[in-house]
Amino acid sequence: MMPAPDSKSNIVVRIIEHSLTPYIVLLLSVLFMVSPILLMFLNSFKSMAEALAWPPTVFPARPTLESYIRVFNSSVPLTMRNSLILSLSTTTLVLAIALPTAYGLSKYPFKGSKAILIFYLASRIIPPISLLIPFYIMLSMLNLINTHLGLILIYTYISLPLIIWVVKGFFDEFPKDLIDAALIDGCSRLGAFARVVLPTSAVGVAAAGIITFLWSWNEFLYPMVFTSSTAVGPLTTGVYEFVGDEVIEWSSLSAVGMFASLPAIIFFILAQKYIIAGLTKGALKL
Amino acid sequence: MKDSRFGFLVSLPGTIYVVLLVAFPLGLLFWLSFVRFDFINPIIFVGLENYIRVYQDRVFLLALQNTIIYATGVTVFTMLAGILMAAAVSRIRRFSTFFRTLIILPWAVPLVVSGLVWRWMLDPGVGIYNYLLNISGIFKGTINIFGDPNLAMIACIVADSWTKIPFMFIMVLAGIQSISPDLYEAARVDGANMIQSFKNITLPLSQKSILTGVLINSMFSFRTIDAIWAMTRGGPAKATYVLGIQLIDYLIKYQNLGLGAALGVIMLILVSMFSSVMVYYLLRR
Repeated sequence: MMPAPDSKSNIVVRIIEHSLTPYIVLLLSVLFMVSPILLMFLNSFKSMAEALAWPPTVFPARPTLESYIRVFNSSVPLTMRNSLILSLSTTTLVLAIALPTAYGLSKYPFKGSKAILIFYLASRIIPPISLLIPFYIMLSMLNLINTHLGLILIYTYISLPLIIWVVKGFFDEFPKDLIDAALIDGCSRLGAFARVVLPTSAVGVAAAGIITFLWSWNEFLYPMVFTSSTAVGPLTTGVYEFVGDEVIEWSSLSAVGMFASLPAIIFFILAQKYIIAGLTKGALKL
Repeated sequence: MKDSRFGFLVSLPGTIYVVLLVAFPLGLLFWLSFVRFDFINPIIFVGLENYIRVYQDRVFLLALQNTIIYATGVTVFTMLAGILMAAAVSRIRRFSTFFRTLIILPWAVPLVVSGLVWRWMLDPGVGIYNYLLNISGIFKGTINIFGDPNLAMIACIVADSWTKIPFMFIMVLAGIQSISPDLYEAARVDGANMIQSFKNITLPLSQKSILTGVLINSMFSFRTIDAIWAMTRGGPAKATYVLGIQLIDYLIKYQNLGLGAALGVIMLILVSMFSSVMVYYLLRR
């Protein structure tokens, strides 16, 4: 069936087949994947002087909270509050639109519903940067440049199409018989949705909500262009407060980086399974 | 009320949204690309002039080339790393959740932060990775990675890939885990070694999820500028100047919205062409 392997490839095969090999590969991979986060974490406890020293240290010689104090006295808490406002509002808005829409498209198809679904999918191909200029004009005309409302509207555009597909995937799995039973028991169609379908699809809804929150939290391009003050801008733009033209305050920057990554790290550790289920569901629909 | 009528009504919010925030800006984008819009002269229809001017802009072809190198680099790197890590995780019995969680972690880091962290780690004055490259003898003396065109591009690719590997890893892992263990058992009985069963079973059967991950990651790396913006802003000497940064320059630096819109349309067409080929290829399997 196969050609006889020569001795050289035999050694390679034996190395690959060795039961320790995957562990070695994974240890090296994890080193690559985790070291930046770990180093950033450790760096945030260094003094400003130590963070600028050469050769660089891994562990802080004298751990200090001074960079966190600097961060708290900067505009970072303000931008963090902005990030929270933007992400929470966007998540609420996206779910409020996506849940009924996905429900209708999943359980009560109508003429043209397939086309709408495909349009959602196709709209994901549009590079957000292509719409930067049209959005700029729309926001200027509505006087929404440098406002939270303007950003929330645009943020919605980023996640809604995917979220509709993710939620629809969960609704598709819900048996129609159960809905019919609720209808016979006297529920209205909306009542059946609210009392029967939504509670059982809670996992999917939570996954969709977390994905939206994280995407909004991480968004950089639109706020960079559409905000001009720390009173409105999110943390992803606030990070740049410590990036000067000449000197970068690396220890403070590391502290801000930790704050910026924190919500997602917490979500990932707590709800990894659901986020992954939601994302792969949306992605595999392509 | 008829069921289809009900379906139409409850899905109306989504439909309205699509019209207002996708179809309308898309139409606006195309219209803008055919007019002169520079905040100085009156807005007039100029036909294809914007497209011609974008094409003749001496940075355009360079930016296009950089974008292709960048997107290809990120896609290939994430694909290889994702397959390697997923294959390794699927082979182990102990600690697989532990490794999986740690590999996914960079996904949590905003791209901007990822760019800044890598910029810090590779910095010639304070960077730990730069120091390691230095004492390991890979580089002679401290080297300014962001002053060297090729190294700067590689650094941007690594920083961007770092946050994109987790998604690829998850996609490939899902693909590998859906393969029946019986197939491997049968191959083993037939005398196949691990390389052969990887090549003949694992790769072909997880091809669909690999390609889906490749499609999404390539689309994203084609258009995102977060990491590059944090690391080099297109420098040194335009070595990492990509189409996205050119578009921002048209908007902010030159305030020429017509040119920016034309470039936006060009980017949209390039992505659509590429993704339709990929989707066609995916659906044919």
